[in-house]
Amino acid sequence: MSEVLARPAAQTPAGGWLAKYEPVVGSGTLRALEALARRLRGHRIVMVNTTKTGGGVAEILHRVVVILNELGVPTTWEVMEGDDRFFGVTKRMHNALHGHVEPLTDGDKEVFRERTRIEADRLALDGDLIFIHDPQPAGLIEHRRLPGQKWVWRCHIDLSRRDENYWEFLRPLVAQYDTAIFSHIGFVPPLDLPTYLVPPSIDPFAEKNREMGEDEVESVMKELGLEDRGHWVTQISRFDRIKDPLGVIEAYRLVRKRRAAAKLLLAGGGASDDPEGAEVLAEVRERAKGLAGVTILELPSGSDREVNALQRASTVVLQKSLREGFALTVSEALWKRRAVVASAVGGIPLQVLHERTGLLVHSIEGTALQTIRLLDNLELRRELGAEGREHVRDNFLHTREVRDYMAAFVALL
Amino acid sequence: MSTPFPFATVAHLETPAGLSATSFDTLRDAIERAPDDSIFQHVTRNVARHPRAQDLAGNDFSRWARAALQAPEAAERLALAGSDPSRPIPEVRAELVSAIERVPARDRRREAAEDATFHFVRTVSVLVPLGLQAGTPGDAIELWPQLDVGSIFYHLIEAPVRGLTEASLAVWLRAEGAKGMARAVEEEVAEGRPIERLRRELGARWRRSQIGRRVAEKAGAPESERRRDATATIARLAERLREEGDAR
Repeated sequence: MSEVLARPAAQTPAGGWLAKYEPVVGSGTLRALEALARRLRGHRIVMVNTTKTGGGVAEILHRVVVILNELGVPTTWEVMEGDDRFFGVTKRMHNALHGHVEPLTDGDKEVFRERTRIEADRLALDGDLIFIHDPQPAGLIEHRRLPGQKWVWRCHIDLSRRDENYWEFLRPLVAQYDTAIFSHIGFVPPLDLPTYLVPPSIDPFAEKNREMGEDEVESVMKELGLEDRGHWVTQISRFDRIKDPLGVIEAYRLVRKRRAAAKLLLAGGGASDDPEGAEVLAEVRERAKGLAGVTILELPSGSDREVNALQRASTVVLQKSLREGFALTVSEALWKRRAVVASAVGGIPLQVLHERTGLLVHSIEGTALQTIRLLDNLELRRELGAEGREHVRDNFLHTREVRDYMAAFVALL
Repeated sequence: MSTPFPFATVAHLETPAGLSATSFDTLRDAIERAPDDSIFQHVTRNVARHPRAQDLAGNDFSRWARAALQAPEAAERLALAGSDPSRPIPEVRAELVSAIERVPARDRRREAAEDATFHFVRTVSVLVPLGLQAGTPGDAIELWPQLDVGSIFYHLIEAPVRGLTEASLAVWLRAEGAKGMARAVEEEVAEGRPIERLRRELGARWRRSQIGRRVAEKAGAPESERRRDATATIARLAERLREEGDAR
């Protein structure tokens, strides 16, 4: 028996992220990551997006960049900057690619191109694997591609309802890439280049997901004025119509008729800085009027500790969306061994395997029925919760996303 | 002279296969036309995609037939058709098609909802050496707990299914004279259990198979050495029981 080249997982830097991951995913998984990383020795990766803070992409990059470096794959992170005009255009682009109707003028196109040219001169894009996140920096490839470089476009958004005007503007840029990566097969537009499917992932050590003892959960609930620990049925999502908070209230109305002890908690943000969110929140309050056992909580952004505690205190976690991107909130709840009832839309069916890791529903009545089933059945909640956690451990932690990225790089080289 | 067995691991990338289905009719057509890597993805890889599952509730096709087409009977047949991951892809494909052809004609045209279309995906395997190698079958037993899910899946299932005999652990064990260990691999793989369970059960079976040989080897050893070994064995057993307890 011999070990050649292998660096035992135990030798990962003390206090590093990989060392923290070892008890979670096992040393075998880390050994496999190290094996992939060895194939990438001598190559340098540059990640590019448009923000260091806020949003899921920045959150993922903060961890992924560190993990890649710990694995010995030099990785830097460049942030494309822009002015209000540029981010105005890219905000509309983001919305349009999500399916909202937005105008796209020649002026908008010029703003996008001009900023791309400026940033192409400024950014350090000197690695041999350039990894561009989302549409905003997609045009950099036209200006900065060096011979021998491989460029990857990582699209985190759902393009299934894309506005064709915007996509036709973007498509010739994307076509210049060596590879594209999407989160879900349903999000992929027709493209003539190798395309991989890499779901997003969660960080088990983030404030939102870290282990939290009963005492702390109770303390947070107390801070939020939710001291009564009964059977909470909870949906934590921004107040947005596609999250169907009104449908949740109707489902709860049906539950409450049959299980009077059940309580509903609708918690989320998006109402303070978004006029439509405020409108939805007002509708939710109106609809819930007179319905016993409903708590509506507006959470400011950054309420990660509160979200963590609320999920852990819930008997059933709902995600009754009408449409979804990937909906990582589902994985967050599953990681906490919660029993989840969720709509079979977007990336949810990849996370909720019906009757194995949670229960999928298609209607208000279905949501009520499955919620009642879970409220009544502790054993089922435990079984689904336990399987759900293992499913997330295997498929939706950052280590899996890093593995997939490295595999895509190896496939490219 | 024996040849060392180098362990590798595999990372599976998923890529669209360009086929989709909305009914049993379109599912059958797509299964017939799908590349081998797509049948591999939706059926054979099932045990590696859910490695810690308590049980595997069918493959992707059967889950879809149950959830999207509300056809439990066909779902059961499709699940059984893909339940042995060691079977060659052409056989799996033929059995899947046969299962669909037994669906009554009136049900075959039943359409899934638009957002429940089945999109075929195919696997791209990225293979990398792990830097571990076994010189003897006994080494394989020692290294077994260090391997990741990808490595176990590759050497026990993927390599044999793809005809890569040089990477098949069972083939190597047999060539090394460890016929019992090789037979155990084939029998355990055919059970179609999730990889982590396969790892536990195969590892336990291999260790049990070594007891007789070890006892014979130790029969002539000094008392102090036998006591030391016995203590170490009990410690390992306690550790394993603790790990199994944690896993549960």
